[in-house]
Amino acid sequence: MKAHNKGQIRIVEAFLSGLIIFSAFAISANLTITQNSVKNDDLAAVGLQALVMLDSDGSLAKYIEDENWNGLRDALNLLLPTSVCFNLTIYDENMQQVNMDTISNGGFSSQQIAFVEYVCASQGVTFRVYIVHLLLAVVT
Amino acid sequence: MKNFHRAHNSGQLLIVAALAIAILISSTTIYVYELSREKTATQNQLTTEFILALKQSSRNTVISSLANASKGGEKSVLETNLNSLLQAYRSLSQPGICNLSFTVLNDSNYADGIWLSWGEIDDFGVSSAYANFSLAIYGLEANITANYAVNVTTAVTLEGYYTTNGLEKLVNLSCRVFNEGKPALAKNITLYYEDLGVWLPVNSSNNLSITDYGNGTYAISFTVITISDTVPISAHINDLREIFVQANIICH
Repeated sequence: MKAHNKGQIRIVEAFLSGLIIFSAFAISANLTITQNSVKNDDLAAVGLQALVMLDSDGSLAKYIEDENWNGLRDALNLLLPTSVCFNLTIYDENMQQVNMDTISNGGFSSQQIAFVEYVCASQGVTFRVYIVHLLLAVVT
Repeated sequence: MKNFHRAHNSGQLLIVAALAIAILISSTTIYVYELSREKTATQNQLTTEFILALKQSSRNTVISSLANASKGGEKSVLETNLNSLLQAYRSLSQPGICNLSFTVLNDSNYADGIWLSWGEIDDFGVSSAYANFSLAIYGLEANITANYAVNVTTAVTLEGYYTTNGLEKLVNLSCRVFNEGKPALAKNITLYYEDLGVWLPVNSSNNLSITDYGNGTYAISFTVITISDTVPISAHINDLREIFVQANIICH
């Protein structure tokens, strides 16, 4: 009878151990996903902030209208942290790509990638709207 | 005695396991809570930046519309441009739902959100645009509603007098440019004077001199030859945003 009870206790212990290990795995996996999401949102906020700063005096639309893609790349390089690489694509209101050259500062070798969509309205006498797609990644 | 010890050890094992589970659960709960707080803060920052971006683009649109209307464009251009902007925002694939609507100001000064007063008031001219915006964001984390107004105004004031030397009159003017009530720089200033009912441009033949003090104040002097006792002057100014404004003054 005692040996039978001892066996039951061992089974319960084994079951509990398994449960604890499984829970630890499940919770850890969930937390990892949340953390990545937080970092991506952070990166998106940084990108959006850079575009807002660039647009505050109408410079963004001016770069686009002048097709000054090198100037735009340099300006973004200055505004974004050095550890962030970007790729910018500009569309007009009919979603036709405006920039034929690549506006980027390097390759993407990170799993931490954020996407920012920005509407840029020009300040010029002739009104134009551009939709800016900014892809950001942390350099690893 | 041996059996007693084994039973005793088994109880201790259960207590230790229960404690370990309790610690694991509590620490995990705290960690998740801290992370969720961080995530909410980050998402709030993203939403804040999105609202700033929205305000920025609506302001740019109002500036563009005023620049156009002040240079002979239709006053309805403000409404047309704002509708184009809204259309662009609707095409975005933002998380959650974002509703932006606007109304242009119509009152005793503004028509279709545009007010151009050039020469109606002596020594003063104004070009202004005004629109009210209503924003509602229905996101996964929070719902945000905000109302804001965008007022873009370029104003100019003139002060002046002339000193006479026979038929030749030396006109001295002080011109001040304002953007939203704050001193601002002009991109260019063109002057005209009226002689016998005809407006004539002031140029280098009039010994035109413009001194830019860099703070939105310009000291202007030039000479004109006229038999009239008064010299009506008109200043045409473009500010750095390409908004045109005009002010008139009669110098004595």
